[in-house]
Amino acid sequence: MLSSNKWSRRGAVATAAALAATAVAAIGASASSAKMQVAHAASAGFTVAAYGDSENSVEKYAVASYDATAEGKSDPATLETFPGADYQTKLQTIMSTSSAPDVFFNWGGGSILQFQKAGLLEPLNGYFASNPKLKSSFLPSILSAAKIGANYYGIPMRGTQPVFFFYNKTLLKTDGVSLPKTFPQLLADVKKLKAKGVETPIALGGADQWPTLMWYEYLYDRVAGPSLVTNALAGDKAEWASAASKKALADIKTLVNAGAFGVDKSWDSVYFTKNQTAAMLQTGESAFELMGSWDYSTIQSQLDDGSSSASAQKAAATQENSLIGYTAFPSVPGGKGNGNDIAGNTENYYSVTKAGAAANPGIADFLAVMYSPGFVKKELAIGNLTTTSNTKSLISGPTSAYLTWQYNLVNKAPAFQLSWDQAYPQTDTNTMHTAVANYFDTLNASQFIKAMQSLTPAS
Amino acid sequence: MTTLAKRGRTKGSGGLKIGRPSFLWSLPAFVYFAIFALLPLGVVVWLSFTSWDAIGSPHWVGTSNWTAMFKNPELLQSFKITGILTILGIATQTPISMLLGVWASGYQKNRAILSALYFIPLLMSAIAISVVWASLLSPYFGLPHELHWLFGSALFNHGFLFSSSPAAIGVLTFVGMWQWTPFHTLIYQGGARAIPEVLYQAASIDGAGRVRQFWSITVPQLRNTMITSMVLMLAGGLTTFDTILVLTQGGPGTATTSTSYYMYLEGFKSFQFGPASVLSVMLIVVTTIVSLIAVRASGWDKMRSTQEGL
Repeated sequence: MLSSNKWSRRGAVATAAALAATAVAAIGASASSAKMQVAHAASAGFTVAAYGDSENSVEKYAVASYDATAEGKSDPATLETFPGADYQTKLQTIMSTSSAPDVFFNWGGGSILQFQKAGLLEPLNGYFASNPKLKSSFLPSILSAAKIGANYYGIPMRGTQPVFFFYNKTLLKTDGVSLPKTFPQLLADVKKLKAKGVETPIALGGADQWPTLMWYEYLYDRVAGPSLVTNALAGDKAEWASAASKKALADIKTLVNAGAFGVDKSWDSVYFTKNQTAAMLQTGESAFELMGSWDYSTIQSQLDDGSSSASAQKAAATQENSLIGYTAFPSVPGGKGNGNDIAGNTENYYSVTKAGAAANPGIADFLAVMYSPGFVKKELAIGNLTTTSNTKSLISGPTSAYLTWQYNLVNKAPAFQLSWDQAYPQTDTNTMHTAVANYFDTLNASQFIKAMQSLTPAS
Repeated sequence: MTTLAKRGRTKGSGGLKIGRPSFLWSLPAFVYFAIFALLPLGVVVWLSFTSWDAIGSPHWVGTSNWTAMFKNPELLQSFKITGILTILGIATQTPISMLLGVWASGYQKNRAILSALYFIPLLMSAIAISVVWASLLSPYFGLPHELHWLFGSALFNHGFLFSSSPAAIGVLTFVGMWQWTPFHTLIYQGGARAIPEVLYQAASIDGAGRVRQFWSITVPQLRNTMITSMVLMLAGGLTTFDTILVLTQGGPGTATTSTSYYMYLEGFKSFQFGPASVLSVMLIVVTTIVSLIAVRASGWDKMRSTQEGL
């Protein structure tokens, strides 16, 4: 589950050596100049590409239930999963070749922008016109995260993943620390925990860099409101140098200097992707972690004995519920952002390629499976919070309290900030990650502002 | 690099054409080399003058990738880091593998058994080694936490090994040493076994002790072995990538972003294959020049026998 949520997580382990990588680039170059999209017309049916991980069981279900219909029999779908990390890289290298998928998994926003610009994507407006339920069955705010210009390009197909605080209930109780409702309270909690001997009150996987970015997403929202990033993305680079931006940066520095994430850059040695922060939270090394909703299953995997039996997982879930709590990010007094705003990964989407749409009339029916009650129930059962309008009535099972809490969090949020590294095109990811990581270490505010201004706006 | 070195040697020893096979004999090897080395190389040079994000066709942008890259402060820094890692690699691996290799060249049973054990890292994949060390060096759950008396000093950055630039470079050097010393030990073992026993016997008669024998016979006799091993370390060090990818991901900040890792980031993280190709062309040129200098300076291209007169 972990690795599907952000492409930034892909870098954990890659096997290509440097020079081999160059060679691949070269081969890709010659392949793309060859004739494209020849295979499509010839073969019946269409391919559905998805990120390969433990959640594929539900994608398999979706494909199987579509293939069982009359439409599916004449125009069958085939699921193709790209296992392991580097999904976006693999997608990018085949998108303009003859092996491009017809329907593909993505993160919306910046992850499909380049494909859209290259004219490879089919706008879904035509499908919406012939089947209005395909639009009305999903939460509007989620659908718009895969909207480019006036056109929709993605149908939600997994779950929404807001970012919020996880905390160790036992540690907060023994140290007499209350849940922070405001930013000054968070600072006070950090000081109190440090005084009680908790050296690293907040676990942060700084070595991965993208967990660090979450702190910026929330503090920028709370201090400056959601418009700052929206405007910056639309091309107004001056926003980064505004007073509100500087205030948010100052708040971040205050937290870092208070030793909230440990002493002297210790966070640079810690990974989320190697399950280190989850272990820190679980063992009481740290009291808080700001992380996406998938952290729940990461912690659960630490607690169960590794067997996948239902009883063992249920026991781990019970243990987790008594040890780990979750709460919204604190508000910042005097800030412009609403305390109910959230940040995170809006959803995963299926997008359709132009060539695929032209050759396969069945795709519209396949996409309609994504809001069917059977599919939604399957997603909920593996812990994915779907974003269909019927979701709330279908939640049940051992994690229902957690899912309902999240659903309400998403539902009452006036704004949902898509992770910056997904909102911006992928070409900017590295610059952005380096900047957010370095501002925790050595950069000053004006250097950070300069780095953010060097990013290419998405529009 | 080897081909260039060979060409140099042939030129130097002109007049030895008698009995040499014609060019036809090397045709299969040359065709293979052309398809899998020269052709991709040519495409990369071409890509370095284009803008391409892996979608659609690359379009020509002239020298703008090159001028932008030369103005980029990260370029110089990445070459500096590559240089430091390479020099540290040679400086740590050479003495250890030479001593171990000479020791392992003895025919005693215990040495054979210990050497066999010692060569195990040679069989492991670089990624696996890096993943194991990353877990071992985790600050909260690995060795730094268990052995706090050892790691709790400023030298080891108080156990947060990946949070300071010197400590992170130290870790990369150490893991590289752990991984590559067995390979170079093997080379030195072979070299040491080829030293004729009579030399040592003669030295013993003249009253030379072990240390004197080592410095006056073993080291000079191992000269060609040393050059071979060091050229391999040099080429390997300049293109180190997998260890960095798994252990530090170029961090903290950009403190361990070597040129090859920087190339990976530009190409496969940022999808800017133009600048990435500029970096790879630079890396090829620099590696070739450095290796050529090493070969010329050490006299490897002439490679005189160390056993003349025996």
